[in-house]
Parts: sequence; structure tokens; C-alpha cells
Amino acid sequence: MTSPLYEVRNISKKYGSVTALDSADFQINPGEIVGLVGDNGAGKSTLVKVLSGAHKPTSGQIFLEGQEVSWDSPRDAIEAGVETLYQDSGLAPHLTVGANVFLGREKYLPGLLGKFGFLDNKAMNKEAHEDLERVGIAVPASNRSISQLSGGQRQAVAIGRAVSWASKVIILDEPTNHLGARQAGEVLEVMKAAKTKGLGVVFISHTLPHVLAVTDRIVVLRLGKIVANAPTSEFDAEKLLGTITGLNQLQ
Amino acid sequence: MTSEQGVKAFAKKLIGNQQFLLLLVWFAMIAFFSAFNSIFFSTAVFGNILLDWAPVVLMAVGQTFVIISGGIDLSVGSTVALSGVVAAFQMQYMMNAGRNQWLAIAVGTLVAALTGVVIGLVNGFLITKAKIVPFIATLVTMGAASGLAIVYSGGAPIGGGPDKAITLSVPWLGPLSSPGIAVIFIVLICGLFLHRARFGRYTFAIGSNEFAARSAGINVNRHYMKIYALSGLLSGLAGMYFYCRLGSGAPTSGYGGELDAIASVVIGGAALSGGIGRITGTVLGALILTTTTSGLIIIGVAPDWKQVVVAILIAAAVLLQGLKSGSRGGSR
Repeated sequence: MTSPLYEVRNISKKYGSVTALDSADFQINPGEIVGLVGDNGAGKSTLVKVLSGAHKPTSGQIFLEGQEVSWDSPRDAIEAGVETLYQDSGLAPHLTVGANVFLGREKYLPGLLGKFGFLDNKAMNKEAHEDLERVGIAVPASNRSISQLSGGQRQAVAIGRAVSWASKVIILDEPTNHLGARQAGEVLEVMKAAKTKGLGVVFISHTLPHVLAVTDRIVVLRLGKIVANAPTSEFDAEKLLGTITGLNQLQ
Repeated sequence: MTSEQGVKAFAKKLIGNQQFLLLLVWFAMIAFFSAFNSIFFSTAVFGNILLDWAPVVLMAVGQTFVIISGGIDLSVGSTVALSGVVAAFQMQYMMNAGRNQWLAIAVGTLVAALTGVVIGLVNGFLITKAKIVPFIATLVTMGAASGLAIVYSGGAPIGGGPDKAITLSVPWLGPLSSPGIAVIFIVLICGLFLHRARFGRYTFAIGSNEFAARSAGINVNRHYMKIYALSGLLSGLAGMYFYCRLGSGAPTSGYGGELDAIASVVIGGAALSGGIGRITGTVLGALILTTTTSGLIIIGVAPDWKQVVVAILIAAAVLLQGLKSGSRGGSR
């Protein structure tokens, strides 16, 4: 078997004396949606931060397409093609939709002005609109500021941004939170579209029906350890809940 | 659309435009002070207001970047004092060595600017590396810089520099002197970088949501360093401006400058919580501030009241902002 698209091996992360993640192994393949579930404090956010380059693990290895990598900052991971959509706070509310989509990778005016860092807002707004449309979400005008949008629209922009920039892996942390049923459905469709593009999609969620509906494989974390890693077909709602809470073992 | 509707829509747009409202406030102040004392409405007084305005707007423009990024720089006034004193010693030394006057002024300007940048970098270091909140970090450098200015100068203005510095301050373009023209030029450039270029975009992004900026791959710490260095640079230049106006570098120059700068920025509509602000707002804010302080003197209020008035202006501006954002409803 070829090496997975993105993989962490034997990852541990300690915050002081607290072990948030204990020798975790995690892989994702191209065109696969993996659900990452667990109770609050199970270590999901910590694993996300390690995968996205926000935190350095205390020990363990990270591999992208079989090559060992080490992220010093989220920028390193982003440049390597690993995009992360964080729960709620991935956008700058005072900036426009276009500015947010291109945040950190701005387009510049041609010539001398561009060399001084002058921005080509027109081009960015236009492309942002096209990118978001391509991802398949109803998008607001690019020149509106994020603070003027509804929760669902904000989430749509955040996801559109992540999907349009990701070239290998996309990590979605609670993307369907605070969304109505229809908007959540749209988000799940976007994830399927990303999968057919050949991206590896990591889907973190508390909403188990959503996880069961779109994922190919489910990884369950409990108390910092990975306690299950199996195809979604092996789970039903009851078994998944049991694995998350640890009640299965007691029976 | 009928022309009447067009006029209505235009009027609505104007009233919603903060810069326009600030301009109205400024006109109202001029009318108010002129009604008290007709002397106020003269080119001489206006020229004086512009003279006061230039160093305030320099500090305030740097402060605008800082406040938009969600921080605050209390050290700007002390930076004016220290950079003026350091530059004065440098120019005195060069004159004693028989150097060319213009060369001394050029080197003095550079030294003043560098002194400001160093203080700004210390601020940036304390904030990003030592993880001290901007309020405390810049309070520390504020104390240190003003203390150093007094120690270094022995408490007295340092003169003996190039005479041409003072002649530079003579207006030749209407009410404007060469330093005044330079200030306007600098403000214009800063405005373009704030609203049209990456530097400003990152400043807004960090003030709006630092986490989002960081996760978008922006080197937030390095940007903080640059912002505080810019604030220091502009305050250093304000120190040189005072030197040209007074003909000496006084450790008391820029006293209370942080209040003036912060007042100008918040009157101009920037939010102390970050993410919101405009250079045009700051320019008008500084104009309203200096018009008020000049006007009060002309209608017979003792200059000692200046800081009290500035403090009241800050409180009023922040209060108005709170009311405005409150009425707009719960946007995050």
C-alpha cells in the first residue's frame, strides 16, 4: 500500500503536566473524508492544532505524502497545502469577504505600486466571488464586511476560503456548528465536492448524524487516546456514541 | 429615480459618512469660537492651528495604526521629547565641529527618527517577546524615555544647533512651512499604506481578529514590531518638528502628546478595541483637537486647562462610539 496523504505517528502533546494527546496515530488518504469525534476535552482540538501547524507536538512524527515534515507555524502547513478551518473564529469581522478570502495571500497591483505592497482589491474581490461560487455556496458580495453577514454566510465564506485554497488536506473544525439544517446540508455537500477533487478531508464534529452521513472512516478520541479507527460502515449511532463515552466497554 | 430622490439618497449617504460629520463638527467649532471672538476667524489664527496640528497629527497617525491593530502607544509624547533632545545634541556637536547647517539638519532629522524607531522597537519587543500588554509596555517606555530626556538634557532645552532650522519653520506656501508640507506628505503616504496596501490590510486584520490573522499565515509578531516602530518613527519626526519650531530640543516638548494623539484617533472614529479607523478621521480629529485648544486660549480660557479639555474630548468620543455601536445591535 502506498503511504497515506497525511499522517501523524505516535504524537503526544503535553501542556505542563497535562497530557492532552497520548501517542496518537492518525492517517488520511486522498479523496477520503475522515470523521474525528470525541467528547469535550478528549484531545480533538489538540490534534487539530498539531495537524494545522498551530502547535508543535511534544513528541512524534508528521508525514505529508510520505515525507517527514515539521511545522513551525500555520503558514508552513498552509504553504504545503494543508488548510484548516477553525471553529467560529477563522475570519476577521471588520474586513470584507474578498479581503478575508485572500488574507495572507494578497494579490498586488502590477508594476511599482505592487512592489510596495499596494493591493489589487478589484481582482481579489472578483476571484473571491468566483472561488466561492465554484465551491458551491451561495455567497454574498465580495465587498461586504464579514460583520454584516449572518452566521451561516460567515461559515460559508470560511469554508469556501479553506476549500478553494487547500491543495492536499482540509481540516474542518465544527463547520456545521450554529447552522440551520439547510445550511448544514450545504456544508456537507461542499465536503463531498472537496473529496471528489481528491482532497483529504478531516471533519471534526459533535453532530454524529452528520459524521455518519458523509465520512468514509471515523476516528474516536477519548481522554487523549485514539480508541477507535474504523470504516464508517462499522458504526451506527448507538455504537458510535458508546465508543465516544466509553460505555461500550462496560457492557 | 427623480432628482429629489437622488438628493435624498445623497443626503443620507453624507449623514452616514463619519468624515463628513467630523468636518461639520470642525466647522461648528470654528463658528462657535468666532462668535465668541471675531479675531478667531483669521488666517493668522488658522496658520497657528496648522502649526500646532502638524506634530499632533504625526503622533496621531502612528497611533492610528497602533489602535487599529488593537493596541495603544502611550510613549509617543516622551518619544518626541527624547528624540528632540538627542537630535539637538547631535546638531550642536556638528555645528561646533563647523559642519554645514543643512547637513546638520539632515543628520539631526535622521537621528530623531532613529531614536523614535529604537523606542518603537523596544515597545514591540516588550509586547511580542516579553508578552507585556501594550498599555503597560508603552507606559514603561513612556516613563523611561521622558526620564532619559530630562537626565540627558539636565532639564534644560538644548540649543546651539543650526539657525536655519528656525527659518525652515517660516510659512511660505500660504500658512504652510516646509516642515508642515513634509508632515502633510508623510500623512498622505501613511494613509495610502493603511488603506491601499498590505501593511494596512494586515494591521486591520490583526486588530479585527488576531487569531484569524495568525492562522492565515501572517507573521503577527513581526507586524506588531513594524507598527510600533512606525509609531516611534513618526513621533521622532515630531520631535524634530518641535526642534525646528523652537530652535532647541526641550525635554518638555511633546508633554501630554499621548493624550493629544489618542484623542485625535478616537475623535476620528477609530475603535479602541481594534479593527476600525481611518486616516482621514485622524487628520480631522487632530484638526478638531487643535482648533479647540487654540480656540479656548483665544476666548480667554487659561492654557493650563488644555489637558482637561483633551481628556473630556476623549471621553466624549469614546462615549459617542459606544452609543453608535450599541444602536447598531449585536454585531460581533
